Amino acid sequence: MSDEAFTSARLPGASAIHFRPVTVERRRIRVGLILVSLAFLGLFLVLPVVAVFVEALRGGLPAFTEAIFEPDAAAAIRLTLLVAAISVPCNLVFGVAAAWAIAKFDFKGKSLLNTLIDLPFSVSPVIAGLIYILMFGSQSLLGPWLKSEGIQVIFAVPGIVLATIFVTFPFVARELIPLMEEQGRGDEEAALSLGASGFQVFFRVTLPNVKWALLYGVLLCNARAMGEFGAVSVVSGHIRGLTNTMPLHVEILYNEYNFAAAFAVASLLALLALFTLVVKSVLEWRYAEEIAATRRH
Amino acid sequence: MNAINPIDAVESVALGAPIDVTIENVEKAFGDTPALHGVSLDVKAGELVALLGPSGSGKTTLLRILAGLDAPTAGRVLFGGDDALGLRVQDRNVGFVFQHYALFRHMTVYDNIAFGLTVRPRAERPPKAEIRKRVLHLLDLVQLSGLDKRYPSQLSGGQRQRVALARALAIEPRVLLLDEPFGALDAQVRKDLRRWLRELHDQTGHTTFFVTHDQEEALELADRVVVMSKGQIEQVGTPDEIYDAPASPFVFGFIGESSFLPVTVVDGAVQLDGTPLDLAALGAPSGAATLGFRPHDISIVEGDAPAIVGQIIAERRHGGARRLELEVGSARHRVEIDMAVDHTRQEGGLVAFRPHRWRLFPR
Repeated sequence: MSDEAFTSARLPGASAIHFRPVTVERRRIRVGLILVSLAFLGLFLVLPVVAVFVEALRGGLPAFTEAIFEPDAAAAIRLTLLVAAISVPCNLVFGVAAAWAIAKFDFKGKSLLNTLIDLPFSVSPVIAGLIYILMFGSQSLLGPWLKSEGIQVIFAVPGIVLATIFVTFPFVARELIPLMEEQGRGDEEAALSLGASGFQVFFRVTLPNVKWALLYGVLLCNARAMGEFGAVSVVSGHIRGLTNTMPLHVEILYNEYNFAAAFAVASLLALLALFTLVVKSVLEWRYAEEIAATRRH
Repeated sequence: MNAINPIDAVESVALGAPIDVTIENVEKAFGDTPALHGVSLDVKAGELVALLGPSGSGKTTLLRILAGLDAPTAGRVLFGGDDALGLRVQDRNVGFVFQHYALFRHMTVYDNIAFGLTVRPRAERPPKAEIRKRVLHLLDLVQLSGLDKRYPSQLSGGQRQRVALARALAIEPRVLLLDEPFGALDAQVRKDLRRWLRELHDQTGHTTFFVTHDQEEALELADRVVVMSKGQIEQVGTPDEIYDAPASPFVFGFIGESSFLPVTVVDGAVQLDGTPLDLAALGAPSGAATLGFRPHDISIVEGDAPAIVGQIIAERRHGGARRLELEVGSARHRVEIDMAVDHTRQEGGLVAFRPHRWRLFPR
């Protein structure tokens, strides 16, 4: 059979032959998978978020702003910002130090440290709060001493900060460790051989190499620090205007059947989550090439 | 990629005088595993030395000890007669080119090369204009002019290699150390860079060590080759000495293709299974010995002249020749020889040959 006969024999049916890569599923399956995921996202993520905003604005914009600027709500917002402003930098320092130690050095107990970092992920936040009550509460060993010194940890801001740090400390370290392990020690060795001091190596080589992962870790850490409920609830004591963070304030308002105000404050937390997502996406889109470059060479 | 041209006689990179490097009885152990054992080596100023050996031979460990990235467990390293081990890696003033370059990926080519100058304490740091002049000159030297604003990820492997070299040269190193400098490059780029590095060395005159497992690369590029095995130096010599007078069966086998046969030396003559081979023993003492020869250094023997006779097991094309695999003697030792492609085979699959160049290693 000549080539010509071969092609002409195939040509009429050519439009019917549909080539697809072997790893791409049939159209029906693809559409089905996409629909299932969208339905799930819609039902469990989008719908509740929309509901939060709808409820928050049900009473109109004036009622919304009034609920937010009401003194107890404003105090809760300030406290939340304060707690985040203390706990995020603490975990930034801890996360970088832990990741640096685990990824770049060999030492005894390295895998134990690596496992311990995950502890807050596996421990219930309520227990995290109880730990601090057992440590610093009036029945604890430290309790009498703290009391005689006039230091209030539990049912006060220090307790809330401690509980928040505990719950959020894996976020930065977990983002950094895999990346730093992948990057190895070569860049640092090169910088040292070129005469850089340890300080210069860290700030001019190590840190820039992980800056995007670090920023992402900080964003996640911040979102969790502001949104933490369980651990903070245990140590806070729920004193309105004093030890109530935003999530606790939402709960109190809700329990008082003050739905409009509860949803107004809740919508701020939801906005924070959306803001975190948007910033992350924008960064990824804007610096895609640079981010890719820090991952591979 | 730009073609790599011969280096112009541009003004040479500013340098201190090249220095001698002396390594004395260096030992290194990682935990209980010895990596280097009693390594001593004298290198003259301006020499280009290859550290050649299989993986695990300790060559990279030795290079890292010279750089100060690893510390030996015992021994001394002298740079120009002064103790170098007391100096931190930052103060040792060595240019180290890493196997995978370790370029700073968030910096441009320009900033990479300038790094070693910009991290100097303010008092020793050259002015910005001076740094700029030097970086541009180095870019010119490694033939990457115009690529100063690129990032490492935008460069080819060969270009990255040259940026890494320029970055190492920027600090005016006393010693240049290269770890498998061409290991990650494809064959053609490798050959070009090899020639180019030799010319660069001739021009800049650094005392240079490079690590390689490629014997061809070592022989072509180096003034002297240091063959290493299992943490020890097997032989040090010029490429000619290493190739023509290997000191041990290991060096003989590592440096090129080789076949070995167990023989006996009797009164200055070589015997195989009690049969004289008519090969001079070249001063080897009487007794058991290993005969080494290269597959291409043999002649086929016709007629009854003394020869090694082997049974053909396999044959395949090997470049311009036909490579035969033979079983020799009662113990059926495997050897390889090359034969002309047009040579007609003898009947019965037997071949008689004699090496015309060989080495004897007493056992």
